[in-house]
Amino acid sequence: MAGDAERQSASPEPALRLVGITKRFPGVLANDDVSLDVRQGEVLGLLGENGAGKSTLMNVVYGLYRADAGEMFVDGKQVDIRSPQQALQLGIGMVHQHFMLVPDMTVAENVAMAPSALPGLVRLGDVEREVGELCQRFGLDVDPRSTVQDLTVGARQRVEIIKLLYRGADLLILDEPTAALTPTEWHELSRFIRGLADQGRSVIFITHKLDELFGLVDRCTVLRDARVVGTVDIAGTDKPELARMMVGREVTLRVERPIVDPGGPVLEVEGLQVSDDEGRVILEGLDFDVRSGEVFGVAGVAGNGQTQLVEALIGLRPIDAGEVRLDGKPLKKLNPRTFTDAGGAIVPEDRHREGVALDLSVLDNLMMKEFARGKYAKRGVIDFDAARERSEKVVRDYDVKTPGVNVPVRLLSGGNQQKLVLARELSRDPRLVIAFQPTRGLDVGAIEFVYGELNDKKQAGGAILLISFELDEIFSMADRFAVMVDGRFLRVLEGGDADLETVGMLMGGAEHAA
Amino acid sequence: MIDSMRGRLRSGGLDFVLSVVVAIVALLVALIFVIAAGVSFTSGASAFVDGAFGTQLNIAGTLAKMVPLTLVALGWIVVFKAGRFHVGFPGQILIGGLLVSVVALKIDLPAGLHLPLVLIAGIVGGALYADIAAWLWARRGVNEILSTLLLNLVAVQILAWWVRGPFHDHSSPLPLTPPLPNTSRWPELLKNTDLHWDIVLVPLAAIVIAFLLSRTLAGFRMRLVGSGERVARQAGVSPRATGAGAIILSGGLAGLAGASLVVAGTTPQMGEDFGANYGFTGIAVALLARNSPLAAVPAALLFAALEQGGQTMEGTVGISSSLVDFIQGLMIVLVLAATTILYIARRRAAGSRTPRVPAPAAPERQLEPSP
Repeated sequence: MAGDAERQSASPEPALRLVGITKRFPGVLANDDVSLDVRQGEVLGLLGENGAGKSTLMNVVYGLYRADAGEMFVDGKQVDIRSPQQALQLGIGMVHQHFMLVPDMTVAENVAMAPSALPGLVRLGDVEREVGELCQRFGLDVDPRSTVQDLTVGARQRVEIIKLLYRGADLLILDEPTAALTPTEWHELSRFIRGLADQGRSVIFITHKLDELFGLVDRCTVLRDARVVGTVDIAGTDKPELARMMVGREVTLRVERPIVDPGGPVLEVEGLQVSDDEGRVILEGLDFDVRSGEVFGVAGVAGNGQTQLVEALIGLRPIDAGEVRLDGKPLKKLNPRTFTDAGGAIVPEDRHREGVALDLSVLDNLMMKEFARGKYAKRGVIDFDAARERSEKVVRDYDVKTPGVNVPVRLLSGGNQQKLVLARELSRDPRLVIAFQPTRGLDVGAIEFVYGELNDKKQAGGAILLISFELDEIFSMADRFAVMVDGRFLRVLEGGDADLETVGMLMGGAEHAA
Repeated sequence: MIDSMRGRLRSGGLDFVLSVVVAIVALLVALIFVIAAGVSFTSGASAFVDGAFGTQLNIAGTLAKMVPLTLVALGWIVVFKAGRFHVGFPGQILIGGLLVSVVALKIDLPAGLHLPLVLIAGIVGGALYADIAAWLWARRGVNEILSTLLLNLVAVQILAWWVRGPFHDHSSPLPLTPPLPNTSRWPELLKNTDLHWDIVLVPLAAIVIAFLLSRTLAGFRMRLVGSGERVARQAGVSPRATGAGAIILSGGLAGLAGASLVVAGTTPQMGEDFGANYGFTGIAVALLARNSPLAAVPAALLFAALEQGGQTMEGTVGISSSLVDFIQGLMIVLVLAATTILYIARRRAAGSRTPRVPAPAAPERQLEPSP
């Protein structure tokens, strides 16, 4: 640890240089010819939407994935990192979104769990002293002897960082570290990160929130659709420019948005308050309605309460306060069955885990909500003739490509699985359709089918709540939409007159966008 | 339509072929040991076949052993389909038998009523005992494998006390109950053999469970929960209630197996270890049957024949009957290995169809307690 001054004045080589990193997953190009460098003593922002390839890139750097092409240089030397251990030996440490700490051990014990050449030879007292020194040096207020579970989320995060510093990390990668922090904690963290950089360490700060970049990072590299859009000095840019870089591609898929005169409200939500599994309030007093003959969009970056909103509406998550009405009738005792009974349909986000049961047949999948509600059965015995007749009709009507209704859904293509989900939900002729990321992972043809079906439903007088992380989708489909940030709707905009820049800034949490 | 039938038959056929191959391979490997022990191939094989099927007595013994094996296998299949595992069959057999002894000895009824009541007692005993594990799992999140494994030990101790204490036959020095009255016992199917009329339970239970799983709403719920808890929740089916129900039902089947062992056994009294190994061997039967209720019948026949033939073989050609345990173990290992290989092969074949989503690098927040 004595070499800080040396290091700072040492080579002008960047701490980390990536050249042409390309990483492919089956069917997905996650990183396409990505190059960037991190200078010594610099905080580099890595900005991009969900799925832009930020995490994949950092996992490549950290040795969790192997790049298909490209080169990495650490302090000017070419390296080939195959494991996190090796990354750490090279001085690269990463703090993940989820903490990796043992809650009922002390800070020092957690730090001491470093993989060492001679296990069992670490004196806890030494660790405590060193951790204390590190804390003092970087201005961290953490007692090495306190138990991790007694610490606040912010303090735990700092413990993660101390752990890496103790193990000799010079380059720290922080993967969206602010997700769980309060504003005060964020303030402390940002001061701490600056302090690290001032003492010669380099930091890569991954985020999709524009506000966090200013006052913290020196430069910012923007990723979009797996590629680098550009790298800018933070001093010479502003939020609108970054927003445009982050989301500003030309809309690739435009569908004709039919204009329907909206009727009365179908879904009314008043003062909806919902907590997550840990009891933290996620949605605090949400008010909105979705009218007959309209698509109401919810735009926003993932993790801002969309999942909890959907779960609460379909009855999978208890509602702490507020009221949900469907066609004017309050939904009491809300659960997925009463939601379906009341005329609700849901196209869930995670098709493979929530939308279909992969091992069950097409028939079972098409009929699951009827069976779950005791329909198509007499005294508990399923009427298979009627069920088969109905599923074969639905398969025909929605053009689901399947060899038959008895084959397992696993054998269908992704697009056909999603068709099946839509067929199941829409064939009930619901009043309200909640579509959560309905085109995720689909090809263009399947996307068109989904949009077409939703638009048909809208023209037939249905109400559609479309929650999507893709701005294109919101712009193409929504008649009105809200931008969701931190469990609140920042603003409700008309579909026609929204511009990308404003929405991008709103998504980035800049509340007072022009 | 025809295509789909064919597809179904094909995948079912593959399962069947796999199981048959596994059984044959296990038997061939066992033969190597027979020959290594200095017994000729022919005398070893014929001693085994003789032991299992040679005489009326041996056939009867084989068939009698099928009953508890089939019932336990069906119990496993029910929980497995609902996405749960438990290994509480030995304990549930014993507690089923315990309740059987109460109804058989303390209630006086004519034959036509006594036996049905005894069977119900067995089912209720097994189900109640499984209910403990089901409750612990659904309400307290206790892993059902652990709880049932430990409850098995508890059941063994309860039975040991039962036949020495409250239900001990004071005229006997052995830990046995008094003889159960004939009105409470299954009538013999073949005079002076182990074979009783409870053999009808084998096809009956297999058909009932197959029907339950494939044709009823309750069975659909189990299959749905078993294929994914999240999709079940979305559809409005509670994984907890369904899983707990399946555990209790499987306990009932094990309890019925316990009733058969007590009131269709060789001796009229109930001892403390009548459950023998059926509780665990039944799981092996289900595995060999690849969790198909109907295939459990032939699989149970094979395992029953192994038990019966192995016992006789020991007497006639002097090969230890532990060879049977060896064969059974080998079959389980082979079934699991073959299943895995088949799974990988199928995934490779379907590979391009389902793009593998990159696994998240960080573990989910398992380490973090809720604040």
